[in-house]
Amino acid sequence: MIPNGPALASHDLDLYYGEVQALKKITLEVPQGRITALIGPSGCGKSTFLRCFNRMNDMIEGVRVEGRVLVEGEDVHHPDLDLERLRKRVGMVFQRSNPFPMSIRENVSYGPRMAGVRGRDRLDEIVERSLKQADLWVEVKDRLDSSALDLSGGQQQRLCIARALANEPDILLLDEPASALDPISTAKIEETLLQLKDQYSILIVTHNLQQAARVSDWTAFFMLGELVEFSDTTTMFTNPSEKITEEYITGRFG
Amino acid sequence: MRGSEPSRPSLITDRVALPPGLPGVWTTALATVLVLVMLGMLLWIVVVNAFAWFWPAAVCRVVETDGAEHVGIVVGHEEAPARAGGGRELRLQLKVGNRDLDGRDFLWLDERDIAAIDRPQSLVRVVRAEYGDAFGEIVGAVGPDGSPIAADDEALGRLLADGARWRAERRRLEDRLAEARRPLTRLEEELDLRERSVRADTEEGRAAIAALELAAGELASQLGPTLDGIERELARVVEDLVTARLAISAGDRDLEVTMDQVVEVSWPNRMGLPAKIATALRQGVTFLLSEPREANTEGGIAPALFGTVLLVLLMSVAVVPLGVVTAVYMTEYARPGLLLRLANQAVNNLAGVPSIVFGMFGLAFFIYGVGGAVDRTFFSDRLPTPTFGTGGLLWAALTLALLTVPVVVVATREGLLAVPRSWRDGSLALGATQWQTLRRIVLPAAMPGILTGLILAVSRAAGEVAPLMLTGAVKLAPSLPVDATFPFLHLQRKFMHLGFHIYDVSMQSPNVEAAKPMAFATTLALLLLVVLMNLAAIVIRRRLRRAYRGQTV
Ligand SMILES: Nc1ncnc2c1ncn2[C@@H]1O[C@H](COP(=O)(O)OP(=O)(O)O)[C@@H](O)[C@H]1O
Ligand SMILES: [Mg+2]
Repeated sequence: MIPNGPALASHDLDLYYGEVQALKKITLEVPQGRITALIGPSGCGKSTFLRCFNRMNDMIEGVRVEGRVLVEGEDVHHPDLDLERLRKRVGMVFQRSNPFPMSIRENVSYGPRMAGVRGRDRLDEIVERSLKQADLWVEVKDRLDSSALDLSGGQQQRLCIARALANEPDILLLDEPASALDPISTAKIEETLLQLKDQYSILIVTHNLQQAARVSDWTAFFMLGELVEFSDTTTMFTNPSEKITEEYITGRFG
Repeated sequence: MRGSEPSRPSLITDRVALPPGLPGVWTTALATVLVLVMLGMLLWIVVVNAFAWFWPAAVCRVVETDGAEHVGIVVGHEEAPARAGGGRELRLQLKVGNRDLDGRDFLWLDERDIAAIDRPQSLVRVVRAEYGDAFGEIVGAVGPDGSPIAADDEALGRLLADGARWRAERRRLEDRLAEARRPLTRLEEELDLRERSVRADTEEGRAAIAALELAAGELASQLGPTLDGIERELARVVEDLVTARLAISAGDRDLEVTMDQVVEVSWPNRMGLPAKIATALRQGVTFLLSEPREANTEGGIAPALFGTVLLVLLMSVAVVPLGVVTAVYMTEYARPGLLLRLANQAVNNLAGVPSIVFGMFGLAFFIYGVGGAVDRTFFSDRLPTPTFGTGGLLWAALTLALLTVPVVVVATREGLLAVPRSWRDGSLALGATQWQTLRRIVLPAAMPGILTGLILAVSRAAGEVAPLMLTGAVKLAPSLPVDATFPFLHLQRKFMHLGFHIYDVSMQSPNVEAAKPMAFATTLALLLLVVLMNLAAIVIRRRLRRAYRGQTV
């Protein structure tokens, strides 16, 4: 890792779904050890941008990417890239919680197990650490072997965070992690994120401007596939430099 | 606006006519009822007819106006062909058994000729090893020493118990004899194969035959004393069995049944309802567990049942991997496009190919092609006697697997497509490879779909007969495909099958009329087997589904 370099960076990033261009010349540096929020109206390319960093766009038919995408200074489109290692380093939490139909324990230890970590004690250690980091340990420690599908929505989403943390990533990508949750569960997730920010660089897409204002240090405003403005959150919400940003954050559209 | 259309009809009508949709509703409801009734009738016919095979029906004595007397079971009534006198006339069908006397099992008696029918307690039904059942009254008995025995219940009971013991003893001795003789039998079979093989006339062939003959001779003299001992014991038991006998009077005729012929003696007219039910159940179990007798028209269906189950198991073992791998490739790896569409069409059309075509394919490809090659390579010293180059369990199972692979592919594909995308994405985003994702997430979640495919495949395979007739099902297999000799599972052997058995019993047996209830009983067994296998798979699938509850799989 480059000391104090950006955790994630994109340079002149263009992305096409077939003929349709979803991202246009995006140049952005996501700082280390901070929470960076991506805001913007629906369909402006926030999720698409997020997926560039762990190459989850690869799975979509007809996607073409131009420009450079760097994770801790390394090019994710390098031909010799170890994709599995990249995805372990850059954890991802999806909009809708997606626990596997397995026990809580198996869910959390899934990433390490797939990476070849063996031994019950070693895995139990990882499970406990990750669940504690995701603020879920107290609630589930007595039923680690029951199905993850029995958890509430908020708990499931924190389980997914724990599952990503079990891989010991450097970076966490979160795509509207609280959009399907009630306010109390949302608050808990936000709390968890604030605790995690000392150890991880976090890039979070959110629909909810208050949420961006509450948790993030930096904010990027996307619009129609373009990066309109990127600055520290306070500036963004009090004194945006673009008129359109101001209109968006004051709720005049979007 | 309203004013411009003065002639609009009122929304409220005086409902005289039928509501317009009603005739349509009735027609569809009627069609549904019709289908259900047909299904019910199908089950009813099978069950009722099969039931007749197990239920201890009353034995009747029928006296005709001219004094003739018959003993048997009334099995049916029908309208008699019109006679000169005219008028409606009934006649009844009597199963008189005693086929050894005049070669017929059934009599038709016009009702107007019948003077009396009664059911004396003393009438018996004797299930015999040959010539079917005997009906009548036991009027005398002879003991193992040739001296007559009083025909009272106590003495008879003792004789029958003794008879059962002797027969068990005989069976035990016969088994022991076969067991003791087995090494010699095997040598002789080997010798026989060599003598008939194309190499018998070559130098080495003659040498091999000579060596085998020598070995067989040595073994024979070595085993001689043991075999002789067993044979002597056996002869003693058989002597008792053929000496002891029952004298039976069946109306006008008399017959004797030696104890070696007796399978079971019962007094149906003395049984109360509980005893009849118990007898029916016992006969049902015996039917499932015993060997067929008399060209399949008597006895049980054990080998056919066993063959069917084994065949379906083997078919499952072959079809699941084949179908699942195909479906996985088509769903997870193949690029969508013309080729995939063609493959899809091919699979779907395969499901519509008549099963006899698969039978011909099995015959041409598996038996003549693969089997022939296997024989030439590994069993050449037995040629021209085929080993794998003839119908057998393996080829039948593979043919059925091919026949049923489309349903497994289709069901598995549906299962795979129903696995939520978010699970795959979640797994990949955690750094799992595509293969790991498939193994750990996708396939387990598609399990209910795979099992659905297997259920459909099993139901189809268990009832399929046509291709089996070409690939190895036989009327009577000399030995089960599984036995105590290495390698225990003999995939090249011919086998018996319930479906083929039904056809054989009801169409090919020497006495179709007498075997009819047996055919229905076999049908019932086949039905129950299919239902049972389906239920088992459904229970497993239900359990799996519960593990994935809340998700649409
Ligand atoms: N799989 C896809 N195939 C084609 N177009 C897509 C796909 N995913 C997203 N898009 C398009 O790309 C644009 C950006 O989508 P997305 O990144 O999901 O926006 P956001 O997350 O900001 O709502 C949208 O116009 C959307 O229609
Ligand atoms: Mg989105």
